[in-house]
Amino acid sequence: MARFIVRRTIFLLATLFAVSVVAFVIPYLGEADPARMILRARMGGELALDPAAVEAVRRQFGLDQPIHVQYLRWLEAAVQGDFGQSFRDRLPVGGIVIRALGVSFLLALSALVLASVIAIPLGVLAAVRPGGRRDSAIVTLTQGLVALPEYWLAPLGMLVFALWLGWLPAAGWSSPVSIILPASVLSLRPLAYLLGVTRASMITVLESPYITAARSRGLSQLLTLRRHALKNSMVPVMTLFSIWLAGTLGGSVVIEVIFNIPGLGRVMYDAVVNADMPVLQAGVIATVGLAIVVNTLTDIGYAILNPAILVGESNG
Amino acid sequence: MADLGRAIARPLVPSLRFGATIRRFHWAFIVGATFFVVVCVLLILTPWISPYDPAAQNLLNRIAAPSGEHLFGTDHLGRDVLSRLLHGGRFSVSIAAVAVIITGVTGTLLGAISARVGGVVDDILMRLVDALLAFPEVLIALFLVFVLGPGYGTLIVALAISGWTPFARLTRAVTLEINTRGYIEAAEALGCSRAFIIVRHVLPNAIGPVLAQGFLRFGHQLITVGGLSYLGLGVQKPQSDWGAMLAEAQLYMIRAPWLVIVPGFAIFLTALSVTLAGHGLRQSLRRGAPRLLGAIPSPKEPSS
Repeated sequence: MARFIVRRTIFLLATLFAVSVVAFVIPYLGEADPARMILRARMGGELALDPAAVEAVRRQFGLDQPIHVQYLRWLEAAVQGDFGQSFRDRLPVGGIVIRALGVSFLLALSALVLASVIAIPLGVLAAVRPGGRRDSAIVTLTQGLVALPEYWLAPLGMLVFALWLGWLPAAGWSSPVSIILPASVLSLRPLAYLLGVTRASMITVLESPYITAARSRGLSQLLTLRRHALKNSMVPVMTLFSIWLAGTLGGSVVIEVIFNIPGLGRVMYDAVVNADMPVLQAGVIATVGLAIVVNTLTDIGYAILNPAILVGESNG
Repeated sequence: MADLGRAIARPLVPSLRFGATIRRFHWAFIVGATFFVVVCVLLILTPWISPYDPAAQNLLNRIAAPSGEHLFGTDHLGRDVLSRLLHGGRFSVSIAAVAVIITGVTGTLLGAISARVGGVVDDILMRLVDALLAFPEVLIALFLVFVLGPGYGTLIVALAISGWTPFARLTRAVTLEINTRGYIEAAEALGCSRAFIIVRHVLPNAIGPVLAQGFLRFGHQLITVGGLSYLGLGVQKPQSDWGAMLAEAQLYMIRAPWLVIVPGFAIFLTALSVTLAGHGLRQSLRRGAPRLLGAIPSPKEPSS
């Protein structure tokens, strides 16, 4: 067990290191000169064309150093929590990303909780009689949900609930009600996947002998499900939940842009539009780093709960 | 022996068996695939059937409601929405198709190699798959747009970087199952090369499940492409695809709801048709349907 955890942790650190290299180096591969980006973002376009000004900025920010020196210097500051300043407004990047991460986390969590509340009962309902009419209807519904583009539903939702009916605010992040519309739209895709996993896992569990035993003892359908089947079938569902949560933090760019929500997706989108390199680098590392950490923790948690998994691991 | 019997019983004219073959497919596959073929034919024929020039502006007839003359109305520059829908669809569907074909081929090959070779190669490839799962596609696209600038090529590269992983996992699972079969042992005993075993034994068995996966991924990629174009990171003006049409239409949403409804509905229906086709095909394979699409029933899906 200890060996497994150590191996996973080493792998985690190696991946984080690789991600940091990729996140740092790739923006430099583009045609755009970072010194010009800084000038353009801060002073406007004309100065960016002045060679003397560009040279001065390049020296000031150490951009004339070789890339690995720049990377090491950046890494040294980054492990101490300093990710540099935004090219645009000179605010510390760490603060920008942390604040945005909080917003995205709240949005993603509400969407996923909403999705689970609907998906789990429906998934169980579908699994009770696989292939039956109810099951077919529910499965077809999930296929419809997967095919719905969220950037279509979002404007339509705004049109109906904000502009025509006036029940909800159209966009923004000022009041608690403004989370309802984006979270609902964001919840539909995870809903479909969570439903699929609940159904599949429930079908497997319901076929196992201990369920037959419970039924033959004369337990009612509802009690069998609640007391015996539900807990065991929830393990893959929880895994998917955590993976989606981590993935949605940076992946809800479209929703955050549409609804003008100051989350991490929006921040990274703005960083690309404004050529704000430090913000993009830190944003990518935060999103991907979190996802990797969550996945590793899930794996380790799995192994602690069910040591049989280690048998499959040890031959690798 | 049973195979021999079946081969002899096969009628000489294959088309006679067409009806019987069709009936062995799940209804969802037939409905989805038919709709998708219709969409593709319409998009291929676009230059001949498009009623107007998609770029022709008519400022006197801006934001006209749907009518006999303009079936889906006109947009804020007086351009015919139906014509723009057809021309835009060519971008959306072709980008998604190219991405799925590239990722399908590379993912399938990598998955088969990973499972046949095993050992360190397998370990590294599967760790890479795990790591790529952590990158949301939109994030990869944002990153690439920063480096390469927006456009058709950037979109395809962005989709291809992480898109091969589901195919690799699927093919690996299929191959691991085939690895235990007697005929593989026999082939190895006869001294067949690794490449020969993969091409002759592994890939034919993987084709059915991979095809089903390809349909499902197509729907996913179509929606991602639309999303990136919606954000202005994909197809650039003056060209536009369904996502870009949606983004343009949003400003006129209150006066002209059809401008938002039509392109979104096009993405939804196309994505739904391939999703149905994928699920239907998977169901058909599970029933042990058409032998040409793989001899073994598809294995259980890897989670996600």
